[in-house]
Amino acid sequence: MFQAKTYIKLLFFFFFLLAMISVGYVYDFSKKYPLPITNRISLDAKLMFIKNKINPDEIDTLIVGSSIGLNNVLGSVLEEASSKVKHAINLSVYEATTLEVEQLLKLADAFPNLKRIIYSTQYSDFPHAKKYQDFHPKLYRKYMRNELSLSKAFKVYFNACNNLLFCYERAKSWEEKHMKDDQFTYLGFDHTGSVPLEIYRKEKVKGGRWSAPHPGIMHGESFAAVHRMSKQAAQKGIKFYLAHQHYREPLVKKYPKVEGALNYFDRKIEKIFQETHGVLIALQRVHLSDDYHADRSHLNRKGATIISKEIAKVIERTESKE
Amino acid sequence: MQLANTIHHRLKLSPKILLTIGITFNLLLLGYFKYMDFFIQNFNRVFHGDIPLWHIALPLAISFYTFQQIAYLVDSYRKETKEYDFLNYTLFVTFFPQLIAGPIVHHSEMMPQFNVLRNTFKHYGNIALGLFIFSMGLFKKVIIADTFAVWATQGFDVATSLNMLEAWVTSLSYTFQLYFDFSGYTDMAIGIALLFNIKLPMNFFSPYKASNIQEFWRRWHITLSHFLKEYIYIPLGGNRKGEIRTYTNLFATFLLGGIWHGAGWTFVIWGALHGMALVVHRAWQKLGLRMPMFFGWILTFFFINIAWVFFRALNLESALKVLKGMFFGEMRIPALLGEYFSAVKTLGFQVGNWSKLYGSETYMGLWFLAVFIIVLFLPNSMQLKEKFKTNALYMLLTVCFSLSIFMLYRKSEFIYFNF
Repeated sequence: MFQAKTYIKLLFFFFFLLAMISVGYVYDFSKKYPLPITNRISLDAKLMFIKNKINPDEIDTLIVGSSIGLNNVLGSVLEEASSKVKHAINLSVYEATTLEVEQLLKLADAFPNLKRIIYSTQYSDFPHAKKYQDFHPKLYRKYMRNELSLSKAFKVYFNACNNLLFCYERAKSWEEKHMKDDQFTYLGFDHTGSVPLEIYRKEKVKGGRWSAPHPGIMHGESFAAVHRMSKQAAQKGIKFYLAHQHYREPLVKKYPKVEGALNYFDRKIEKIFQETHGVLIALQRVHLSDDYHADRSHLNRKGATIISKEIAKVIERTESKE
Repeated sequence: MQLANTIHHRLKLSPKILLTIGITFNLLLLGYFKYMDFFIQNFNRVFHGDIPLWHIALPLAISFYTFQQIAYLVDSYRKETKEYDFLNYTLFVTFFPQLIAGPIVHHSEMMPQFNVLRNTFKHYGNIALGLFIFSMGLFKKVIIADTFAVWATQGFDVATSLNMLEAWVTSLSYTFQLYFDFSGYTDMAIGIALLFNIKLPMNFFSPYKASNIQEFWRRWHITLSHFLKEYIYIPLGGNRKGEIRTYTNLFATFLLGGIWHGAGWTFVIWGALHGMALVVHRAWQKLGLRMPMFFGWILTFFFINIAWVFFRALNLESALKVLKGMFFGEMRIPALLGEYFSAVKTLGFQVGNWSKLYGSETYMGLWFLAVFIIVLFLPNSMQLKEKFKTNALYMLLTVCFSLSIFMLYRKSEFIYFNF
């Protein structure tokens, strides 16, 4: 048995030791894996990517969306195919709803020379009106730009220390889950932050992901978010493009409700853009066989390359007129 | 108190009127903040009205400090208070470790401690004990309660229907979540208070070991039970006015206890169920009937578990969904158990694919086994507190429990913050 004072001293020594070990672990972790800053791993990874590899002042083109933005638009192809796009960054986040994309666009202020936003989406992104909880755009902007004050940087690392088990699990599953380009959870970014998938038809994506169409439910609040986003972009002098992505053609032919949903979506967006001067890029008109699809709505690298070139053409056409 | 004396002498108001004004003021505030929307909802329902809800933000801990203030008022009226220092009074009402979720403290056990000179000095023994109790509470909350919280939420808030086993997993998960969450918070409050040399009263004493409902209420939220007894049950007449009146008083006390917990019919039902159970228990005792302790425990535990369904459910529909699953849901046996009990197949139960809602049956099974062992066979935190010594074992335990702080990623609030 120890004297109470000695006991406390020893106890605090162990607490201090634990704190130091955890700080060391988190520091090491942050060099290899994305720190848990947001509640989406793909956003954490993107913030880390921009912080470490991108000069935000150079960015003129921002791609946003869910996985439909992450996988279906390749920033590197846009840069090659368009004379207008010099430096693109893909800020899309897996599973982002339209309202969440609206939140993501609050990060656009981190890129002071932004000229255009490309929202890559599909009607299947529109059924939910949910938002991110605990979303702190100001913090994320500063983190991306390496402008965090010492106290804020401490807060980011301290919060990660509270998530130590989470960090450990993230590190453990990172290679297996996020570094294989033949999986839908792939997070190996190209130099613009896009994620080209190497999933081809021959690999037989199983179940409904390939053959069952999304229900045609679309939430009014999602369209309202598009209205707000395009309006705000116009007010800032930023061109807003909405790329309505390609859907597997056999499903469009087989299910009239899919065709109906695609047409309804385009009509709604066109109506919004009449007011806000956005540009709709309806990509269903591009013929893509199943060889270009990773599943019903996601494209593989080949498909994303073709679609990105199509988007580049529209950008050229639109901005050359202005 | 000086203010009360001034009012008393200048306005010639009797102490009873002053007491009535004080209690009414406190209850009106509580009613306004906590029950206004509930009242409007029911008014609209009964009179087909269309009054919009007020959505008033609930001041943190209002239920707790309202109780404490009423107790002080009543005891002042009874001339049982000794301490009238305003600073000490405000410290008693707002003492931060226990302010938001209890234990509900009584002025007679708190205010005298504020004046003890010895308590103003650093006391390493208390710091060591406080850190031990605090870390244990943290462990209970972060590791145990938050694990079960995920399963309870899945069953109550996500699933649209539940099979029998899923429904039992859901209800038992909440039963354990609530206990470890609330008692964990209490431990943390007791631990923090000890850092300031203040001793808070015990609030839990292995409640799920209770073999009857009366014993349960002597072990669960002890400070609330004490308050209900002293300030509701006894003033209503307690057991001094005949058997029928005793039963009525018991029932009314717990009905009010249910309403205190929240503004909703599910809380009313929960309170009524406990009131009825206490009435039945008392009648059973009066008739001289006895039950083997084990059966008593089974009956008590399952009753409490079922009653918690109403306590947790967001509405009656959700409660009935879980209860329907518990008693009439489809019976599916996990493959693991099916292998050992082949007879279940002959009874027509399906084996395997027991749940679409929950993951690994082995993982969940181990958790349930562990918590049953903890709540039934291991010493509780108050017993450990008594045994505490400044030795290597308790230091190791403190450090190990403190590791929970690295697992705070499952953000969740303390359940009793809502009350």
